[in-house]
Amino acid sequence: MTDVLTRRWLMPFVWCALLLVGCLAMSLFEPVFRWLEPDSRDVVYARVDFLVLLGRHLLVVTIAAALATLLGVLGAIAVTRPAGREFLPLVAQVASLGQTFPPVAVLALAVPVLGFGTLPIVVALLLYGLLPIVRNTLAGIEGISPSVLEAARGMGMTGGQILRQVELPLAAPVILAGIRTSVTINIATAALGATVGSSNLGDPIISGIVNGNTAYIVQGALLIALLALAVDSVFARLSSR
Amino acid sequence: MIELIHITKRFDHTVAVDDVSLKIDGGEFCCLVGTSGCGKSTTLKMINRLIEHSEGEIHIDQKPIRSFREDVLRRRIGYAIQSTGLFPHWTVARNIGLVPRLLKWPKSRIDTRVEELMSLLGLSMADYADKYPDQLSGGQAQRVGVARALAADPDILLMDEPFGALDPITRETLQLELRDLQARLGKTIVFVTHDMDEALRLADRLVVMHEGRIVQQGHPLQLLREPANDFVASLLGGEDRGLKEAALLPVSERMVPLGAGGVARERIDQTASLREALSVMLWRRVERLAVVDDDDIPIGELNFRRLVGARVND
Repeated sequence: MTDVLTRRWLMPFVWCALLLVGCLAMSLFEPVFRWLEPDSRDVVYARVDFLVLLGRHLLVVTIAAALATLLGVLGAIAVTRPAGREFLPLVAQVASLGQTFPPVAVLALAVPVLGFGTLPIVVALLLYGLLPIVRNTLAGIEGISPSVLEAARGMGMTGGQILRQVELPLAAPVILAGIRTSVTINIATAALGATVGSSNLGDPIISGIVNGNTAYIVQGALLIALLALAVDSVFARLSSR
Repeated sequence: MIELIHITKRFDHTVAVDDVSLKIDGGEFCCLVGTSGCGKSTTLKMINRLIEHSEGEIHIDQKPIRSFREDVLRRRIGYAIQSTGLFPHWTVARNIGLVPRLLKWPKSRIDTRVEELMSLLGLSMADYADKYPDQLSGGQAQRVGVARALAADPDILLMDEPFGALDPITRETLQLELRDLQARLGKTIVFVTHDMDEALRLADRLVVMHEGRIVQQGHPLQLLREPANDFVASLLGGEDRGLKEAALLPVSERMVPLGAGGVARERIDQTASLREALSVMLWRRVERLAVVDDDDIPIGELNFRRLVGARVND
């Protein structure tokens, strides 16, 4: 039992451990960064603790993902009901459009309206992360065999019962895959928040660009990559049950 | 009792079912047959309101079906389809217990009922209860489908080509079991098929549909002997109708008492059909068969002239 548990959760554990090591002990690698950036005075980003940045990063991504999941799944459910079916093509297209729109542009447009800070980045991530969730929820629900739905109706299940007991459980793996894609993309995209005053793991990157400090950029990028890998491996674990 | 009174169904501008009236008595096995697109499935689905009829009225036990809520109506009517429509994420036992659960039966009663149905359909509880539909063969899945349709003990069972996707041997086994089941449980069954042999074998009442209308209805033998027109005649097998009729009649119907000429060497069971008897005669090249009972004891004789029903003076 414990053996299976360790094997299954090995990869998530490894990535999380590496991420924590990166946050807590970046200064241990100072010689490496010194070699990378010999001219700068500081080579390890220390303005804000990495753990704090990680926490803020996770918070922004989590809020955006939760909202995107809620909106995306509810939206997709709404347009697959008989009453909302007319809007299915529209919603599918709008969701696609959301992803072709660069997040930077969303930020640029959102800041004048919403001001600097965390709000515009949450909005940008929400819009950007909506598509994979809407698309996968639609694919998951539309992919259910018509005969299963016919039988469900024929047996006398109500619309709500079919949704809860048949459609959502059967579509769940596909929906989860959509959330996984959405979250992974947004972990990287969230770094943009640093440009509009939402402090997170993007800070070292922006700061590195502004000050010409490659070491900072590498540190930010490294931690974001590790975070993405850690979260992705947790999703992989959840979806392969 | 199911009664369709001047039922019409239009999809946009096409008329799928055109002024159909049909009365199916309680305990009757009614087969709807016809070519693809003749409206037989549509007619079936209008009975449990999976498709709403455009005109006319459908009554079940004297009450119009629109006086019930859709889901309430459907829970009272068993429904089985060709592709089974079993829920892939539920075990066999859970699939079978679906309607009782919808009806909020207590758990112990559902468990007993599931067990009862599984043994009724020859599925051992130990082997199949916890299996998932994708682990079943086509025949097993269809048995589960039928068990699920019977779960809440409905008076009426609607079946839409339930055995259409099965191999001939499994299909025949299930047909015989269904016939047997219906005789024991006294359900009213409305059964759609395009397999004429299946329809002839199962039906008390055969309803032939063509282009949305009922062309003829009645007992299978009656339709075989007096088809209303060429369409019915060709649908029922054209020149093969003689054999199809023979398949419906038991040997006991034409046998004569044992004569003085001694017992014939080749034997046939008294419950066998005349068609089987004919086949034995052709195969063994004999004109006489001894008819035996279940214990293999000769109780009569069947000769070729009697088998074909030749009149005495011919």
